[in-house]
Amino acid sequence: MAITHALAVGQALPSLEKELTQRHIDAYSGVRTRSIHTDEAWARAKGFRTTLAQGMMSTAYVSEMLTRLLGTGFIRGGSMSVAFVQPVYAGDRLTVHGVVKDLRPEADATRVVVEVWCENQHGQKTAVGTASGLLR
Amino acid sequence: MIQFTPLTYDALKVGEEFVSDTLLVTPEDVDTYAFAVDDHHSWFSGTSPFGGPVAHPTFAANQALRLRHSRYVVHAGLHAKMQFEFLEPIRVGMRVRSRGRVIDKYVRRGKQYMVTEYVTEDEAGTPLVRGQFTQMLIPA
Repeated sequence: MAITHALAVGQALPSLEKELTQRHIDAYSGVRTRSIHTDEAWARAKGFRTTLAQGMMSTAYVSEMLTRLLGTGFIRGGSMSVAFVQPVYAGDRLTVHGVVKDLRPEADATRVVVEVWCENQHGQKTAVGTASGLLR
Repeated sequence: MIQFTPLTYDALKVGEEFVSDTLLVTPEDVDTYAFAVDDHHSWFSGTSPFGGPVAHPTFAANQALRLRHSRYVVHAGLHAKMQFEFLEPIRVGMRVRSRGRVIDKYVRRGKQYMVTEYVTEDEAGTPLVRGQFTQMLIPA
């Protein structure tokens, strides 16, 4: 359900916690041989300590945060721009953060722009960017 | 018949275009996606303000991300950047297809990158999601 109360620039949104198990990664990426996401030996051969989650999974978490905030105004009219700055490994725990950065009129609505980032259990940022949607 | 070739920086051409196969958006696939990202919003499985169940907004993103696999054997890669515009909901029962075009390739700090812009459409050609992504190529 979307949050309907007034938003303010600087307001922190409720964070999300995500445990990334190999089973989640398998369901997301599809199990394949010679995949850094689902073939541990292949991931190690490519220089990673274990399998990696797809960066795209973090965009789904940001999408969840914005859908909770804006509902239909994100699913129709939302946007996102994210850079993946650190790998996310199987077994990591991510916290997804969002802070309202801008509120601006757009047609008969208000575009809510949110600075978003994901952090792993070590406090390292793994994805950073912005997302927005329409508050009607 | 497609003649697959290994993806290399040199083989990749700016301007080349890709088209995915068509994907039927099934309730099972939407549910699997919900499990994968641990987001079980009621709109994914029941009624929604759009008149029926819809998929997660990023549901079809992997169809776009794998566009290059329609022509190349991809050794390994890392996703560097992603942009989305969510235009219309992806509804259960739709058949969706993604079209993409390579708009840039570059080398930065010794790493090779490709940039693709894409659109995911329904069977009538209505754009559902537009986006752009940057992928790093990991050499064989």
